[in-house]
Amino acid sequence: MNRIRLSQQEADPIGGITAAWIVTIGAALALGTAVVQTVAHWREVVSPVAAIIALGLVAVAGIVAAVSATPQRAPFTTERLWLVVGLAVAAAVAEYVSTIGANRMLYDDFGSIVIGMLILALAPYCTWLSLLAAGLLSAAVLSFLVVGSAMATAVDVPIASLIAVNSAAVLSLSAAAAGYSYAIVDETLAWQRKANRAALQRDAELRAGIARSVQQSQVSVLGREVLPFLAGVMPADRISVDDADHARELAETLRHALKAGIESTWLDDLAANLQLTRAIDVVVDDPSGAADDLASDQRSALTALLSWLSDSGRTTAIEVVLAIDPPRHRITIRAVNGAAPPTRRELDRFAAVARAVALRAEVALTGENVKVEVTHVPD
Amino acid sequence: MTLGLPGHLARDSMSRALAHAGHCAAWVCLGIGALISLIGAVVNADPAGWAGAALCGAMALLLLLVARFDSVTFTVLYLVAGAGAVLAATVLVMDPAYGFESTNNVLLALPRVALILVGGAGVGTAIAITWGTLGYGLGLAATFLGAMIAGATWAPNLAAGMAFGIFLVVRIYDGVTRSSDQRRETGLHRASQQNRELAIRHDYELRATARLHDTALSHLVAIAAAGSGPVDERLREGIRRDLGLIVGRDWATEHAHFADEPGRNGAAARAGSPGSRPADAATQTAPTLEQTFTAAEHAGLELRVTGDLAVLGALGPGRAAALDQAAAQCVINVARHAGVGEAELAIGFAGGEVTVAVMDSGVGFDESEVGEDRIGLRTSVRARIEQEDGTVRVWSTKGIGTTVVLTVPEGGR
Repeated sequence: MNRIRLSQQEADPIGGITAAWIVTIGAALALGTAVVQTVAHWREVVSPVAAIIALGLVAVAGIVAAVSATPQRAPFTTERLWLVVGLAVAAAVAEYVSTIGANRMLYDDFGSIVIGMLILALAPYCTWLSLLAAGLLSAAVLSFLVVGSAMATAVDVPIASLIAVNSAAVLSLSAAAAGYSYAIVDETLAWQRKANRAALQRDAELRAGIARSVQQSQVSVLGREVLPFLAGVMPADRISVDDADHARELAETLRHALKAGIESTWLDDLAANLQLTRAIDVVVDDPSGAADDLASDQRSALTALLSWLSDSGRTTAIEVVLAIDPPRHRITIRAVNGAAPPTRRELDRFAAVARAVALRAEVALTGENVKVEVTHVPD
Repeated sequence: MTLGLPGHLARDSMSRALAHAGHCAAWVCLGIGALISLIGAVVNADPAGWAGAALCGAMALLLLLVARFDSVTFTVLYLVAGAGAVLAATVLVMDPAYGFESTNNVLLALPRVALILVGGAGVGTAIAITWGTLGYGLGLAATFLGAMIAGATWAPNLAAGMAFGIFLVVRIYDGVTRSSDQRRETGLHRASQQNRELAIRHDYELRATARLHDTALSHLVAIAAAGSGPVDERLREGIRRDLGLIVGRDWATEHAHFADEPGRNGAAARAGSPGSRPADAATQTAPTLEQTFTAAEHAGLELRVTGDLAVLGALGPGRAAALDQAAAQCVINVARHAGVGEAELAIGFAGGEVTVAVMDSGVGFDESEVGEDRIGLRTSVRARIEQEDGTVRVWSTKGIGTTVVLTVPEGGR
């Protein structure tokens, strides 16, 4: 992944989720600005209908932006940015029509600043390149409007100066949006590189301990019967028929035990770990080993959700069922509510994180249990 | 990859990102200010245009220093010099020749917005708002003073006020939302670490399973197959060696050095067979396929070798040992299932990969018909080779024979 293709919502999903309200605030401020500016230059308005349509379009653009950025509708896609910007540009065109031939001052037009504010509000959800492109294209459209308005302006200045003046708001706010997007992704990736280096160092320390515990657990598989049997055969002169039969039985038992170990996935290991540490039932039903098809970030998102659900008395039992429904894989998590059951808002946070790592996530709550359904297409 | 920023870094990172956003907007404002001034200077031959462009350029350069060095000195310098630039710009712009009614105009808004977006030294909401407020206040004062000097009408600059408002909203929102516990509550970093540990554990479990398959299970199968009768000395020796290995040693951590163990070398030396095993001087120090040859000898399988064993020197000791163990399991499979007394072992190196092929002319098998409970090919061969980023290809036809090709990239642990 690189900075061009990443936005904050992908690199830092929690940061993206917490930014949801800023979009609503930005949209409200944009609408407020448009209303105030329209009232302020009402004497220049020749078409009240167009002026009202312009305000309506600003309102729609703001609503689309705010709704699209909610965690329930994550991830925010580039198409949504273009829809919002398109509506805002249409509002600017409607405003131009509303004052056509009578627009004495460009300074009190709201088109440029409203587009810029909406682009800025959406900065956590878009790549720096798409934000910059949105700003530049909007400025280009506004420039055509400036040329049309130039005849009526009160000051006699070169048209290039008027274009520059009129583009200042949208360009500076888009630059701020792109700068923010670039910097936060850069900061996040830098931290991730650092964290990965630290993790690699920590891995080396972990390996010895893990290796010993794995060895002990495997030896304990053998300890009860296999090792004593082999130790008995070693000094013997002959192998009896009973020994051969016993060896066959032990071989089958051991083969099955080893097979179970091979077929267990990280999710089985996680469930065993949670069951041990949180003392609640965690059952995984994954007959085809589909858990191994999840990417590293997707595993982390699910691990975070399962760890959180199993903690602090939120649930008393968890069941995870994995099924393959080509081309998608479905993971259904059902949890029985505990003393402090999770709220929808809390679960939406995890669902949004899941969506940020290419998982589709749906949350359903009842008074008794929680259901989170996640689907994905394996790479 | 870990997901997102941890809570303790979010404050600084967000603050720096917001400061960078402000700087970008400020540079655009100053750039547009300079552009408008230059257009005036060139198109209208207005000398004030050159002065305006120089003022914007100087502010942009000072802002570059603030962004680059993030120090109090440069921040204060930028604010003071910027205020001076705004003062000079006000005197220039409010010349009656330009026809501006008051200081509430876009040309004066541009440097003032750039002054608000100073970012400044330090991180955090409070410090950022302090610097921004200073920028707004100094710009306001400079415009007021400039209007007095120029004898023009002063009026609050709406664009600058709006920029200050947006700046405050963004910074306050960031401060308020960051204080919530969402990052800690979600535990993404803990989850990421836990996943890493689970992956390491699984990796070791696969290796351990392969080892148990090769040792304990292999001996049990051999005892069951032998039936009643005297204990084969090679079987006895194998059990003794492997019991010591399983119970008394850290084999899970030492597997990488497995091939170098004295016991193994001793066994290899005893198993020397001039007809079947190349043992030239070159292979004494480079990795060899000792376990493969030992397994063949114990199984009574004649192994014909083609290719140069020295190519194993292209592999790290751990990777060479894994290849040896996988090839040994292939040889054991030939002895157990192929129904033949000989097999061919081909060794080669091409395209940065070492290849070992085990071929027999035995009964062959259909891989899809292999019982679910048979795990030798899966663990001792495939899992081992795949852990070394290698590949395993199996061609088998019933009645014709089987070829297993193991390929691993050069290098490795």
